[in-house]
Amino acid sequence: MSTEDSLTNPQRSFEAANVTRRNSVLRRLAVAGAVVLACGIAFSAERVWSNLLVGTFYLLTIALGGALFVALTYVSGGGWHVAFRRIPEAMAAVLPVAGVAMLVVLGVRMSRYGWHHDWHGDVGTFWFKELWLTPSFWAVRAVAYVSLWSLLAGWLVARSRKQDRTGDASITGGNVRISALFLAVYAVTFSLASADWMMALEPMWFSTMWGVYNFAGMIQAALAVVIVLGLILRSNGGPLQGVFNDEHLHDLGKLLLGFSCFWMYIWFSQYMLIWYSNIPEETSYFITRTHGPWGPIVVGCIVLNWVIPFFVLLPKPAKRSSGIMMKVAIVVLIGRWVDLYVMVFPSTLGENPVFGIWEAASISCLIGTAGLLLFRSFANAGSVPRHDPFLPESLHYHTC
Amino acid sequence: MSDVHASLRSPLVTGDKTISDVTRDICAPMDRKPTALWWSAFGLSLTALIVGVAAVWYQIATGIGTWGLNKTVGWAFDITNFVFWVGIGHAGTLISAVLFLFRQKWRTAVNRSAEAMTLFAVMCAGIFPLIHMGRPWLAFWMMPYPNTRGPLWVNFKSPLLWDVFAISTYLAISAVFWYVGLLPDLATIRDRSEPGWRKRITSILCLGWNGSARTWLRYETVYLLLAGLATPLVFSVHTIVSMDFATAVIPGWHTTIFPPYFVAGAIFSGLAMVLTLMIIARKVMQLEDYITMTHIDRMCKLMMSMGCIVGLAYGTEFFMAFYSGNGYEQFVFKNRALGPFAWAYWTMVSCNVLIPQLLWSRKLRSTLPVVFVIVILVNVGMWFERFVIIVTSLHRDFLPSSWASYAPTSIEIATFVGSFGLFFTCFLIFCRIAPVIAIAEIKGAAHLKKRPPAESITEEKAA
Repeated sequence: MSTEDSLTNPQRSFEAANVTRRNSVLRRLAVAGAVVLACGIAFSAERVWSNLLVGTFYLLTIALGGALFVALTYVSGGGWHVAFRRIPEAMAAVLPVAGVAMLVVLGVRMSRYGWHHDWHGDVGTFWFKELWLTPSFWAVRAVAYVSLWSLLAGWLVARSRKQDRTGDASITGGNVRISALFLAVYAVTFSLASADWMMALEPMWFSTMWGVYNFAGMIQAALAVVIVLGLILRSNGGPLQGVFNDEHLHDLGKLLLGFSCFWMYIWFSQYMLIWYSNIPEETSYFITRTHGPWGPIVVGCIVLNWVIPFFVLLPKPAKRSSGIMMKVAIVVLIGRWVDLYVMVFPSTLGENPVFGIWEAASISCLIGTAGLLLFRSFANAGSVPRHDPFLPESLHYHTC
Repeated sequence: MSDVHASLRSPLVTGDKTISDVTRDICAPMDRKPTALWWSAFGLSLTALIVGVAAVWYQIATGIGTWGLNKTVGWAFDITNFVFWVGIGHAGTLISAVLFLFRQKWRTAVNRSAEAMTLFAVMCAGIFPLIHMGRPWLAFWMMPYPNTRGPLWVNFKSPLLWDVFAISTYLAISAVFWYVGLLPDLATIRDRSEPGWRKRITSILCLGWNGSARTWLRYETVYLLLAGLATPLVFSVHTIVSMDFATAVIPGWHTTIFPPYFVAGAIFSGLAMVLTLMIIARKVMQLEDYITMTHIDRMCKLMMSMGCIVGLAYGTEFFMAFYSGNGYEQFVFKNRALGPFAWAYWTMVSCNVLIPQLLWSRKLRSTLPVVFVIVILVNVGMWFERFVIIVTSLHRDFLPSSWASYAPTSIEIATFVGSFGLFFTCFLIFCRIAPVIAIAEIKGAAHLKKRPPAESITEEKAA
């Protein structure tokens, strides 16, 4: 046994104990949430389904956001992030599971979508909507989106993991091409998926910004998850201790700040243009959400997703502080849930916001499941892509 | 900044340059007398400018009736040109501010000229709304200040007024950013110049730059802050320009995706213009070692990705028009693709979406003539994009009896030609009086040889 091993061993066992404790907490959260939700089906199936829709879409977009982060950094020739790339890769690797969950949730209650009722008589100018939202076509598309994402993201991650074994630098070049393909496919399919699954909850409403808005929320939450996981995995002798450093944290903080602003920009542009033009078929969405009891929740959503991250992350020291970054990332993740809550609940459950045991259970289930899946996925591969040609850059750079 | 560089990265400066080579190469065009090529380009640009000035003089003296507008199409060529030019400017701000924050060091080869382009393009853009006011000598009425004109006050609810604020802020910040970036290079020119007018002017303009560590520290801080301030401007300006249309209730104009879609389009067109000028400039000014094929390649990729975003936005608009079930919206889009302006629509789609897809091929990205043709087509396509959005949404309005067509008059075309004249005249003068590449920045970003080899020092001494 080398000196180094004997020195790190006590730390390793401490870390192992930590992991066991963490997993058991997450498992309890997941199981407790799932049991309560299962009981909920008997009492309030509608609410349970709405919660499941929010939860699975949350999980799916986190996974997709991870894949997006990996693809974007490959395509833009980034080197800074390589040391912790296994985190977004772990997120991307969850895609198949999250995708299947999404399909199940969508599948069990397709009738929840208003268009599912047969249209009688002349469809007139609605011929395209009628065609596009035909249940079978809609379902085939959903399967196609999830399969395409899982396939391309899985390919990307598998090749990156393969590089650990073979050390072949040409894998990086190949991954740049796969990433470009993924991004092109993602841009089209995610716009459509967000319209199919979220916008179509109110089948008469439409907004061309919808896909961009969903993209903004997705990437913002994905960055927050990267930050949270990075901080957990580097603490207490975790596998990224000494790897995920303050420079990485600083840059992720800048990106979180930037994408919080981007989310706000997109939210405001969509809202302002609809408010300004005041066309009844468009204002319906915002009237439900800004008049009456949903109003304060929408304001809260903006505070969580933009006001807090913006003002807290503006100073440089905040972006390099583990404590502050962890808190802001959690605030953003809560904000993401509220954002999806505001997207889904007024459409499915009406004008009065509800929050009770079913919502709490679904959040508990989401945290538990997401945590277990992500940590397990991370543990499935080496914690650092050690043969990536850009790794030395990532370990030795300084932000300004 | 990175201390370790992966070997996969291509060098930013080729040709085995030393630090002094960089200064010499970049300042060389300013030290030489203008070439015949420069004079002929300048003569051509100046002629175009004079044509434009004459046209503007005529239309102000005669009135806006000299334009081809009618009751139905009340906005056409002027606003198309305005949006076109504002868009051209965006690449400058993106390259200088956003890419700076993203630590994209290759930007150092093109940021100076792209920023100069921004300034000139915004100047060109400003001409059109100014003339459209009809009485441009009353332009100061756009400024909201306490006045003696009674209730005559600007309309804060109008996106056109937001434009005034957005564009003037943009011009101001871009000018300051450009000038601050020039400071160390102005000092370099001062130090290299023989006593005379050039030394005197640059001494004043470089604000007493002394190259001390303290000066550099403050300079870097200011530059970073300005980059942070300029970044929102990349979004805000074209967002507000898009709102000129999107706040209306006209089908084809009112759509929520306009803000980010216009921003992407602006960056797309701006990069096309930067590439157009840089492909010429690197050849004419012998800067191939500084604006390398790697730079061209990266700009092509960036441009293509912007083109894809624009393509997605076209698709989204079309999709949503049909998905919405709104018959008027559907009519506008059918009319765009199949109506009397279908030729303009398909020019736009081919130039902006289809042809740039060729840039997926690395081989084509490294073939300069192909790249040059593509960027010219993108410039054309982006002009047509604005024309299509503006004119096709208006010319067949809700009442078929008021349907009309639109064609620009010779005066409008002459004004547009004049704006190109202004742009290129300014750019050619800029190439003569300022270093087209940021000398100080490129020295910091590129890994140059530390000192010249011993024999070249002896040679220089001998000389």
